[in-house]
Amino acid sequence: MSASPVENCMTALGENYSRVDGPAKLRGWAQFTADIEMAGMVYAKVLRSTYPHARLLRVDASKAVELPGVVAVLTRDDLKGINSHFGPVVKDQPVVALDRVRYVGDIIAAVAAEEKDCAEEALELIEVEYEPLPAVFDLRAAMKADAPVIHADRVKAQSFPAKSGFRLETGGNVLSMYHVDDGDVDAGFRESDEIFEDTYSSQKIQHAHIEPHAALAYWEPSGKLVIYSSTQNPSLVRAQLAELFNLSQSKVRLIVPYVGGGYGAKTHPRLEPLTASLARKAHRPVQWVLSREEVFLTAHCQAAIVRIKTGVKRDGRIVARQVEAAYDIGAYALTSTNTGRNGGEVSGGPYRIAHQDLTTYCVYTNTPPTGPYRGFGVPQVCWAYESQMDDIARRLGIDPLELRLKNLVEEGDRFVTGDELVSVGISDCLKRAAEAVGWQSKQEQQDRELRGKMRGKGLAVMIKTTMTPSNSSALVRLNADGSAVLLTSSVELGQGTQTSLAQIVAEELGIVPERVSVTFPDTDVTPFDQSTSSSRTIFTMGSAARQAAGQIKQQLMEIGANVLEANIEDLELREGNLQVKGAPEKRRTISQLFQAHYGAAVGSMAGSYDNQTRGGIDPKTGKGKASAFFFLSACAAEVEVDSETGKVKIERIVSAVDAGKAVNPRQCHMQNEGSMIMSLGSALFEEMVFDNGQPINATFLEYMPPSMEDHPKRFGSVLVETPHPEGPYGAKGVGEAALGPVEPAIGNAIANALSGLRIKDLPIRPDRILKAVQSTKEESQ
Amino acid sequence: MKIELRTVINGREVEASVKPNQTLLEWLRDDLRLRGSREGCGVGVCGSCTVLVDGRPVSSCLMLATNADGKEIQTIEGLAKGDELDAVQQAFLDQQAFQCGYCTSGMIMAAKALLISNPTPTEDEVRDYLSGNICRCGTYQEVMAAIRTLAEKNLANR
Repeated sequence: MSASPVENCMTALGENYSRVDGPAKLRGWAQFTADIEMAGMVYAKVLRSTYPHARLLRVDASKAVELPGVVAVLTRDDLKGINSHFGPVVKDQPVVALDRVRYVGDIIAAVAAEEKDCAEEALELIEVEYEPLPAVFDLRAAMKADAPVIHADRVKAQSFPAKSGFRLETGGNVLSMYHVDDGDVDAGFRESDEIFEDTYSSQKIQHAHIEPHAALAYWEPSGKLVIYSSTQNPSLVRAQLAELFNLSQSKVRLIVPYVGGGYGAKTHPRLEPLTASLARKAHRPVQWVLSREEVFLTAHCQAAIVRIKTGVKRDGRIVARQVEAAYDIGAYALTSTNTGRNGGEVSGGPYRIAHQDLTTYCVYTNTPPTGPYRGFGVPQVCWAYESQMDDIARRLGIDPLELRLKNLVEEGDRFVTGDELVSVGISDCLKRAAEAVGWQSKQEQQDRELRGKMRGKGLAVMIKTTMTPSNSSALVRLNADGSAVLLTSSVELGQGTQTSLAQIVAEELGIVPERVSVTFPDTDVTPFDQSTSSSRTIFTMGSAARQAAGQIKQQLMEIGANVLEANIEDLELREGNLQVKGAPEKRRTISQLFQAHYGAAVGSMAGSYDNQTRGGIDPKTGKGKASAFFFLSACAAEVEVDSETGKVKIERIVSAVDAGKAVNPRQCHMQNEGSMIMSLGSALFEEMVFDNGQPINATFLEYMPPSMEDHPKRFGSVLVETPHPEGPYGAKGVGEAALGPVEPAIGNAIANALSGLRIKDLPIRPDRILKAVQSTKEESQ
Repeated sequence: MKIELRTVINGREVEASVKPNQTLLEWLRDDLRLRGSREGCGVGVCGSCTVLVDGRPVSSCLMLATNADGKEIQTIEGLAKGDELDAVQQAFLDQQAFQCGYCTSGMIMAAKALLISNPTPTEDEVRDYLSGNICRCGTYQEVMAAIRTLAEKNLANR
């Protein structure tokens, strides 16, 4: 292990400190956006397209406007002469449809009414005339030259990043592409003893956060826009709303109460542009809360097709890898361009490969918009490279654990993007996960007959980047009684960020976490934060909070050095006191230091820090600094497969993640467990189904996330701690770590149970297993 | 048109008139401002809106408010007595059996109902009973642990 930046006087750090949001959540008092009510509030409902692709010939809301109780109706007529489109990368999404609709569910008009029933009734009075256009739903078909074009223009948003890494394509449905290479892949394939070439696919998945998206907007008479929203990134939504409405950012205020899960679906503008537009027209506060069916039409995870070609030496060393992947981004892009880049960067896997050639495309289709989904493009490619890894192991007769350990990246390696890898605990993750399922070399590879119920074990590893560059600012105020407030725009969406950030501030100031209060985001009050996503909060906001508290610590030290007549380096903050190290009888309380400084125990001391993780990727080369830190994780699974029914039972599953330093180990474990359960659903059964663009299973009756009955009985999370020099106390994010390796670990376990039988399409449904078993039997006859 | 109804909610008698198509959940949230019960799916399968009606768990998004007439309703807000949490809430707190908290009210009410009908459930019984309460954060392990501690206590006190 490298030199540890972890200090030894930790008290609040590394403890399973009880969550600060517990009492409110357990009593039912926790306030979510849909719980907020304002005087004069009216309710929004929207009219959605029934066609996947059509020209809008007529939108007539005149009858709806006349319905008693209707306060305002928003149609394309209201967008004439003003900014009509939004989007964080390209402005491709209109507030309501203008000339055409692009998916079943695209919004045509919105009604604000005194009662929800009345708003629903008004929708039925809006007359719409469509002229259907040819539509395209299939990823491969959408990439063809003669496919119907879904978006003709590529209008960049103000927030379009310079070092985005991807290139925008023109014409056709391919919005963006990312490419990176290393060495000479053709030469690499010529050097190889064996070549493996496969195509894998991943399905469309729902985030299925249990709290539907919600927003409440009103305009102050001064012209200031105020929105309560279930968003994961209030600072960026503020910026985009300011751009849309031609306001300065100081005239847009985003407030975020508790968020009931997001997993990426609540990043960037979703409900806010329409809710704000409707509120402006209604001159009333407008609340818009989605139904579950509408959530299905608002965001989902990109389906993908991944072609992967790998050349290896007979000893198992990977020589060359070529990946070409396409992501189906639906009708509107959001940040799917970045998702495609993110997947592309790591599509060769966490392996040392001299010759690589990696390309990804993002493609529009006439299906609902996609967006960030926990894992951000990585699970799709991890499914491919880790499934293929076991096929390689099998053909070469090498144990899958040994094959991986032979090729894994190590500390100090140069990654394909050009990043130097630091804090690399991936081998430890893999070994600990394998050990936890009782992995035994060689015999695990033994063939089993295709009859009855069979068991198998599988492994997988993953590497993922985090959003880079990115900014987080924190403001800490210390009160004269020794309590502190952290002002932050990080969103509490279940991950426990308020608790872990309180622990960091407490640690720095030598006070107990109970004395630290952490705010909810309010962009009028709390400083900028890029996003509560990409598992970046503990690393980037955690560092900002630590630095901000550190400034106050420094000030207290300077005051104390005078009062105690000691050198600063001999002082420490512990248990609410500033004391001389080794002589704790020489001490002052924080209150006494305020007294000494201000002449009375009043006032406050403030510290603020604007943290930026630097980097970015050159779109021309695909190289640069991809990530402030790399996620590294592993999963091991044992399954039982019933080859008569195709049913898979997870006997045990363990995910190991390198947390750097676990600020609150229990919360790290819970996030890791949560990722595992989520992936288990997409590995085995979750899939959004469409028939000619019509959603078939857009309710929880037909699309069910994993329940307690799906929870494996033997289920474990392992934390490896390889401190990161730039993380606070060495900490790195863990929130998405299991999202890559769970699917291929299960797939590999199934293949191990079924003599190497490989399912290449997710989810691994029983019918797919049966079909594969059947075709193997036919082949052998 | 409105329909009169009388119920007891969290121990308090309530007389009200409700719309005939109003669900119990809408009535609790919109009219009585008891917002601890949450809507997740609207079709009675995610469990976030679970309340107790005469001690039995009900998806309040599926039950019409009018059908609550003459019945006794218990919601998450009625569990704690002042500062003192209900035993189920306390066990959830001890095990930190929540993350985003959106499904938590329903999960606690369902757990409460389970323990009323079966004070010492086995793990399989817990899984079966709570399979209608979805937690996308994946906090099932901690919820099971919380109920296990309560079942163990109940077993010891038998």
